[in-house]
Amino acid sequence: MKKFHILGILVIGVAIGVILVSLKNTSTYADFNEAMKSPDKEFHVVGKLDKQATQIYDPKINPDEFLFSMIDNKGSVKRVVLHKSKPQDFEKSEQIVLIGKMQGDDFHANDILMKCPSKYSDGKPQIN
Amino acid sequence: MNTIDYVGERLWIGHIGNGFVVLSFVSSLLACILFYISAKNKNHLNFARVAFNLHSISVLGIAGTLFFMLFNHFFEYQYVWQHSNTDMDMKFILSCFWEGQEGSFLLWTFWNVVLGLILKKQLRDGLWEVPVMTIFSLVQVFLASMLLGIYLFDFKIGSNPFLLLRQHAEFSNLPFIQNADYLAKLNGRGLNPLLMNYWMTIHPPTLFLGFASTLIPFSFSIAALWNKQYTMWQVVALPWTYFGILILGVGILMGGAWAYEALSFGGFWAWDPVENSSLVPWLVLVAAGHTMIINKNKGGSLFTTHFLAIGSFLLVLYSTFLTRSGVLGNASVHAFTDLGMTGQLVIYVLTFVLITVALLINNKLFKITYLILSFLILVFGIVFGYKKVLLMIWILSSVIITAACYYLYFPKEKEEEELFSREFWMFLGALILILSSLIIIYFTSLPVINKLFNTDYAPPKVPVYNVWMVPFSIITMLLIACAQFLKYKKTNSKQFIIRISYSFLIAFIFGLACTIPLYFMSNFSSSSAYDKWNLISYASLFISSLFAVLSNSDYWLIILKGKVMKSGAAIAHIGFALILLGALISTSKKIVLSKNTAQRKVSGLGADFDDKKSILLTQGDTLPMGPHLVTYTGKKREGINVYFNVNYLKINKNGKPEFDFTLVPHVQDNPRMGKAPEPATKHYLNRDIYTHVTYADLNIDTITSNKNVFATAKNYIGHIGDTIYSSNAIIIIDSLKTNINKSEYEKNDSLLEVTAVLRCLDINSKVFYAYPKFIIQRNVVIPKEAIVDQLGLKLVFWKINPDEGTIEVTMSEKLSNNRDFIVMEAYVFPFINILWLGCFIMAVGITIAIIERTRLIKLQSSKV
Repeated sequence: MKKFHILGILVIGVAIGVILVSLKNTSTYADFNEAMKSPDKEFHVVGKLDKQATQIYDPKINPDEFLFSMIDNKGSVKRVVLHKSKPQDFEKSEQIVLIGKMQGDDFHANDILMKCPSKYSDGKPQIN
Repeated sequence: MNTIDYVGERLWIGHIGNGFVVLSFVSSLLACILFYISAKNKNHLNFARVAFNLHSISVLGIAGTLFFMLFNHFFEYQYVWQHSNTDMDMKFILSCFWEGQEGSFLLWTFWNVVLGLILKKQLRDGLWEVPVMTIFSLVQVFLASMLLGIYLFDFKIGSNPFLLLRQHAEFSNLPFIQNADYLAKLNGRGLNPLLMNYWMTIHPPTLFLGFASTLIPFSFSIAALWNKQYTMWQVVALPWTYFGILILGVGILMGGAWAYEALSFGGFWAWDPVENSSLVPWLVLVAAGHTMIINKNKGGSLFTTHFLAIGSFLLVLYSTFLTRSGVLGNASVHAFTDLGMTGQLVIYVLTFVLITVALLINNKLFKITYLILSFLILVFGIVFGYKKVLLMIWILSSVIITAACYYLYFPKEKEEEELFSREFWMFLGALILILSSLIIIYFTSLPVINKLFNTDYAPPKVPVYNVWMVPFSIITMLLIACAQFLKYKKTNSKQFIIRISYSFLIAFIFGLACTIPLYFMSNFSSSSAYDKWNLISYASLFISSLFAVLSNSDYWLIILKGKVMKSGAAIAHIGFALILLGALISTSKKIVLSKNTAQRKVSGLGADFDDKKSILLTQGDTLPMGPHLVTYTGKKREGINVYFNVNYLKINKNGKPEFDFTLVPHVQDNPRMGKAPEPATKHYLNRDIYTHVTYADLNIDTITSNKNVFATAKNYIGHIGDTIYSSNAIIIIDSLKTNINKSEYEKNDSLLEVTAVLRCLDINSKVFYAYPKFIIQRNVVIPKEAIVDQLGLKLVFWKINPDEGTIEVTMSEKLSNNRDFIVMEAYVFPFINILWLGCFIMAVGITIAIIERTRLIKLQSSKV
């Protein structure tokens, strides 16, 4: 065996190791029910803003806390505590991805991704 | 269907454009075929050259036509309408050109043509002209087809930039089509304002030139496999590979600079899929460049060199697929929208993999088996489906057959490598780069893996990448520090260790002196195992990158006696080490200035949830923030941008606050993407103060007018001792005073007067009293309001509920009480300038190396 071959095998081994280790810790997409089942694990939950529910953002009390409700893709509604300032254009979002954990009845998110209306739908040719 | 004669449409230019599109496709196909057959019959070579020139002219023609249309606002064309308008500044016309997919493919094609023409001249009549140009033309066939926009049965090939607006599938049933005179009233949709930034004029062309230059080592490598001339190609390809490393590297870093200056990522690198998919080809290209040097100086590493040179280009194709096909979906903030070309992109990537693997197999039997197997899988897939499974079988069999061929037939080294030889350490470095690339591309490809295996893994966050990449960076730095001092073939290990230990000792002592206070002083022992691991790895990276800087400086200044032209590699390595050092310090020691003081704690959720990083600034108030005092003084709107003026004060020697500087972060009220915050940064030599507004009211009108008007009153019911909260004070119902004077009461026709004593405390606990009166005269309630001018409050006592023992008071506040506020984040990035300095030094170093290599080639060829 040459040194290069040993190294090559080592590289493949490390790569597989990293993949296996990281797969264990990689957060997965889930719905609120799955997140309820393992409250210590971080999940990505996809859903829509519940426009009926009240939203609370009072930066005077805490600029890094925003409360709202989200309907996940399975239809269940949960109160969300976002530990960040309220995102701009929040109401316009079409789809929300929350990253966080379930605690009690609330979903605590440390980050949020929003999908706003796509580039193509908001601009249609218009003549005045 | 009755046809409408549209007024003013300039259809001729579309015909010209489409003519060029078709011509560029046909001529590249022709060039490819002619170059291919001229490998056997030299008579066709001149025709092939002409075909490639024709292709070049038509690509320039497409670009020129598109520019002409953009410049003259031909909005009847969808691309022009979508990416420009009459209001925009013409200096951003270049950004309009490559904002869309079609334009950026065109940019890529354009650079390929430029490089192809230079290469064609350089290689003229040489050994490499025919095979290299065949590959070049083949790639051009694929790229040119991306602009065709035709349908073959139901399969869309390409997306055409000369499509008329009214023919576009999404708009063809809109009412404006019915209006023959529509064009006169139509304005374009305009360029995305986020791209109206000087970085966006230079970053895309640089990056695409970088992508285009990966085609050169690829073409040479394929050409070599085809000709079975496995070694000669590196001589010519080497400077080109380093050209690619330079341009692609600069392009990527420009993207980082743009993100740092104009986007609110909160840093210069966010491990975004789009960033990663240009970083990985670069890493692989760097590895290829290094194995080429090994091969050139000593032979060996041949298969690896081919593998990497080809891999870099295939990864560019793969990242095009990742970012253009919409497969990333939620994972990226700036992936392109799907233009319905996913299938086409997949086919292109797979076709090139097929060609590569077929050529890597240098055994006829294996080659034919592989081609037949691929064909069978394709047919089976079309007929029966099971596309995902078959794709995986195909990829697996490609890997296995290639590996088998490598072991059985590829020319290999006979002698064993020495442990203390430069080539061994360089090879080790290349392996580390490959490993990092594999891990990054794996993380980035999770959405693809989800699609293939029906899993639902979420893309990892920034810390995950950092944790994995720091150890690799440490090893890379150690290798960079040592490799220069090693000689090819064999080095005296004793001399080497003595020489290298100077730099190492200085780096180690100085590094410890820096890292102990940086990483180990504050509660190291109490932090978690994960944090400890991180802190130790940061400190190791600090010391090892310092070691790399010092030893390469030593090599440059002492061993090479400071000769600049000989020291390109050493200088480039100093630059790269500085980039990592700057990135390490500025990221790991990033300080959150804008810590808010909210009391609520979210325990039990982990550290991620506890970072209170925003500060609320009310207009006019001065708050402490880190070492500064900050005041938000007001906002103004210019066009679509709203600017927030924030003054920074510092405490001077006398202990008094004194004006220091002003930062004006702004929020772009982007009609296309919504509100996009853009940061403002104060640059110092040793640190940057970086701020951006995360939440603010963008309305200007509400604050300027009607300052003294009272807002709508709110009713409050309370007992004595209860409190009412206004936006600026606490109001306590202190007591009630009645003055029922019997004679007065009778004289004034049943007058009853109750005074509420309201104690108002402002934020500084200063007390004001308000005495609203509740008066009943002749059975009519006439409340007498009380106004507290200092607090801008109006209080009306209008009802007594004797049964409950409560009173009712309405309170209204002056509009000026609701002072404007912003929520802001502020960070310090310490020593980020080391990073930018490193970028500059690395670019200079690589440039020197390219010039020197090119000079040597010329010298050698003139000797021969």
